[in-house]
Amino acid sequence: MTRLVCPFCGARELGEFEFRKTLPEPGGTPFAQVYERIERPALSVEHWQHVEGCRGWLLVHRNPSTGDVLGTELLGGGPL
Amino acid sequence: MNVPARRGSRLGATTVRFTFDGREYRGQAGDTAASALLANGVRLFGRSIKYRRPRGLFAAGPEEPCALLSVGAAGDVIPNVPAPQLALRDGLVCWSQNRWPTLALDLAALLQAGAGLLGAGFYYKTFMWPSWRSYEPMIRNLAGLGRAPRACELPPVSTEHLCCDVLVAGAGPAGLAAGLAAARAGARVVLCEREPVCGGELDFEGGTIGALAAADWVRTTLAELAARGARVLTDTAVVGGSGGLVIAHAEPGGVAGANAIYRIRPREFVIATGAVERPIAFADNDRPGVMLLGAAERFLARYGAHAGRELVLFANHDRAYAAAARLRAGGMRVRAIIDCRTEAEFGASGTAVSLRDQFRRDGTECLPGHALLAAEGGRGVRAAVIAPLAAADARRTIACDTILVSGGWTPLLHASLHEGGAPRYAPELGAFVAGAEPDWRRSAGAANGALELNNALADGWAAGARAARRAGASGDAGVAPAGRGDDAPRLVPFCRSPARRVDERRQFVDLQNDVTVADLRSALTEGFQDIEHVKRYTTLGVGTEQGRTSGVLGAAIVAELRGVTPAAVGTSRLRQPYQPVTMRSLAGDRVGAALRPARRTPLHDWHLAHGGVLEPMGLWLRPRYYRASGADAHAAAIAEALRVRTTGGILDGSTLGKIEVAGADAAAFLDRMYLTRASTIRTGRSRYMVNLREDGMVLDDGLVLRLAPERYLATTGSGHATHVLSHFEHYRDTEWSGRAITLTDVTEAWAVIVVAGPQSRAGLGQVLGAGWQQALARIAHMEFVAGDFAGAGLTVLRASFSGELAFELHCRPSLAVPLWQALVDVGLPPYGLEALDILRVEKGYLVGSELNGETTPMDLHLGLASLGNACVGHELLDRPAFHEPARRCLIGIRASDGCAKFLAGAQLVTADAQTRPCGYVTSSVYSPTLGEWIGLALVARRTAIEGTVLTACDPLRGGNTTVRLVPPVHVDPDGLRMRA
Ligand SMILES: [Zn+2]
Repeated sequence: MTRLVCPFCGARELGEFEFRKTLPEPGGTPFAQVYERIERPALSVEHWQHVEGCRGWLLVHRNPSTGDVLGTELLGGGPL
Repeated sequence: MNVPARRGSRLGATTVRFTFDGREYRGQAGDTAASALLANGVRLFGRSIKYRRPRGLFAAGPEEPCALLSVGAAGDVIPNVPAPQLALRDGLVCWSQNRWPTLALDLAALLQAGAGLLGAGFYYKTFMWPSWRSYEPMIRNLAGLGRAPRACELPPVSTEHLCCDVLVAGAGPAGLAAGLAAARAGARVVLCEREPVCGGELDFEGGTIGALAAADWVRTTLAELAARGARVLTDTAVVGGSGGLVIAHAEPGGVAGANAIYRIRPREFVIATGAVERPIAFADNDRPGVMLLGAAERFLARYGAHAGRELVLFANHDRAYAAAARLRAGGMRVRAIIDCRTEAEFGASGTAVSLRDQFRRDGTECLPGHALLAAEGGRGVRAAVIAPLAAADARRTIACDTILVSGGWTPLLHASLHEGGAPRYAPELGAFVAGAEPDWRRSAGAANGALELNNALADGWAAGARAARRAGASGDAGVAPAGRGDDAPRLVPFCRSPARRVDERRQFVDLQNDVTVADLRSALTEGFQDIEHVKRYTTLGVGTEQGRTSGVLGAAIVAELRGVTPAAVGTSRLRQPYQPVTMRSLAGDRVGAALRPARRTPLHDWHLAHGGVLEPMGLWLRPRYYRASGADAHAAAIAEALRVRTTGGILDGSTLGKIEVAGADAAAFLDRMYLTRASTIRTGRSRYMVNLREDGMVLDDGLVLRLAPERYLATTGSGHATHVLSHFEHYRDTEWSGRAITLTDVTEAWAVIVVAGPQSRAGLGQVLGAGWQQALARIAHMEFVAGDFAGAGLTVLRASFSGELAFELHCRPSLAVPLWQALVDVGLPPYGLEALDILRVEKGYLVGSELNGETTPMDLHLGLASLGNACVGHELLDRPAFHEPARRCLIGIRASDGCAKFLAGAQLVTADAQTRPCGYVTSSVYSPTLGEWIGLALVARRTAIEGTVLTACDPLRGGNTTVRLVPPVHVDPDGLRMRA
């Protein structure tokens, strides 16, 4: 099972995290923001939450073709 | 029958009794079902899945395609256990599969014999009229591997998590060398070996390693590994994994007796899983008595079991001669060695030359440049048909009872490739090896194409030393020991014997799925050129053996038929698990009560003690009804609901989700989260609010209480708190990042008791005492008062989900039971969820099935309030489809005939035309107040006119009921009772 590196908790198994969404291209109509996902085989930018850990939200850069995680960073202020 | 004790490296002396197909046999300790049955002269092990052809033992490992057994007594059976994988134990009961009524006489086989052999695609093409569905039950009954168990008590499974520097899969010479090198360098090593014994094939191939005999080297290596703290797990196969996690499974039936799943996270992974022998296809190569050459060697050396008495060997490499010599030394007669290499390819040097001379002197026919064309015999081989390759018509037969075939070795790439990746064709092997692998993983030894002992040792050693170094171990691994074993095979790739077209239907490629050369040819003719398409069309390699014996063979034959190289064909994707693993094992200890946590309210024990019948709702357990209320669930619910309407009752609402939202930006934040504005709620008041998803659909509903100017309590549906909290946190941490908003799940901090009914105020006053009288008298609908009771905080909110005068008490969990009991004592009996549903539907409140992720606020008549509030999701509410006449919206329904019943899920159609449904029933209850079945439904806007008569169609449960559309609020539409 792939691991994501939570900036607070360290490397944890994917099962502790929950996927929220793939980020759309910036701009565009509200409809486009929700529905018009552009498939990018080499890079997907996603929101994940460490639900079974610190509940922090992560910005995850991932290569969907290989499953490689290219990087994770914290969104917002993180857990208080 | 007195059988003399056999001698083999894995055998003990003790006799073990077992039964196969109801007949008792004897084996010895250490035997497998395969070896014991073979030694007992059993040749027929099962029938094939499609043609019901008799099948015997073909291999000596998990790659066994034919001899799959069901283990256990009727009903409690583990199906599809390869006989060579089934460790014998006293009292073992096992059965052959795919036969009826008996193995020897199978009626389906007779049917098939009448119809002739059915090629790939036959079922799809033949059983088309009137439809596939009319034939499916009969065909399904005849098809399939084994039978699924109805009940199954398997040994308990433990799940163990391991971390190590270097994980080595396979403890043959390469794996042991890798483990030893890594351990000497100072790495923490875990070694998994799927066999009960380490050493791979050294136990029958012999040879020397360093200064030691091979068997002694294995012993000293294991001792050194143990001394260096390495963990060696035998009977444990690496079966799969992903993303750096490796899953290994210890067999429940294994010699170790354990049933365990290991979740291993290594820094480095050396794959030394070896290679599996592959056959050569010839006509009727599936007959019992046709076996892989290496399997015969294993059965002899390990279990003293003879594959047969009179052998004919068919191979394309030098190793066949060494193997033949060992089989002959074991007491079997080698009648002929058919070598498809020409005399020139055979060469003039090496051990094979002298062995062949020896065989010829002893009367064994050694025929280079020949092929074995066919096996003769029905339920067992009686002869081999051979011919020179240069003159295939000059065929003759050699009498024998066993044909041993070997077409080379296929490196086992499962652990490398089940996550993807392209294999590379190695022409010298006639097989594929792993292509580019990620840095942390490396194949070594035979799995990497190093078939000679010395090469395998060197390759394994290098891989182990590299892995240790990369994992950070700094010690010196030293150099690999030199090995001397069997010669290089000097193989010339050869995949099938010459055959007339008609005989291709009897040249089996995948014995487990009855895929023949004719099937491959037909797939190509139909236009399926890619090996993945060929696989799907023919089912080549889809069974439990996962293409181990058939994959490379199939690819080579496809290459031959297409006139391209095997490299151009490639192999199909290898899938996990490597060998069958029971679902029970994968579940590990997460079964039954341990599957997921159960959430209990503070009143849980009270409910149980007072006849509460609990039901799961998400993780929560909540009372459906109380036994004392009625004879059954329906009667109890009706009695409880009626009681609330006439006098009063109390409900455990503790499962209500509660999120506290605090901070200077809390009001603005909640305005964005909810359809209606939270900022306009006055402190001390609450409002019924709805949140939307990003796409405009309703996510959840609940009351929002303003506790203080900068502090709110947002309630959610039971079990929705976690999800709604995540939704809030997402916005808090993305677009509201850096703002002062604190979100806290306080669901379990407050127990909730709902007090409802005309007498609720009086009863509550009695319990709370004089100090609360004024507050209770003054408190208006949707207002709340926070105060003190018995020294602890208590909030009393006047709100109603039943349509009656009602209060919600939010108290500390420790106060819940005394408060609850006091309310019961003043004549407010408990009611459960069934009664609550009745009360809610009577009032037209959303029950839950209306918030199904497909309804907008307009559909639920919550739309107007959204005007002017830019909440999440509101932008997408303008989509035209949401406002079309076909869009379904909420409406009430009632049965036209007073006593007719209809259920949620029934489809609604217009009475005049039996066209597509115009809606469906979302909730239905029997209303004791109205004395008839009522409900809520989602009905197309253009049809949703009060008074319209529709038919509720429910063919599977109750047939048709005539219903009429009514306003959603069935009882007290003006809300007079609630505001009393
Ligand atoms: Zn975390």
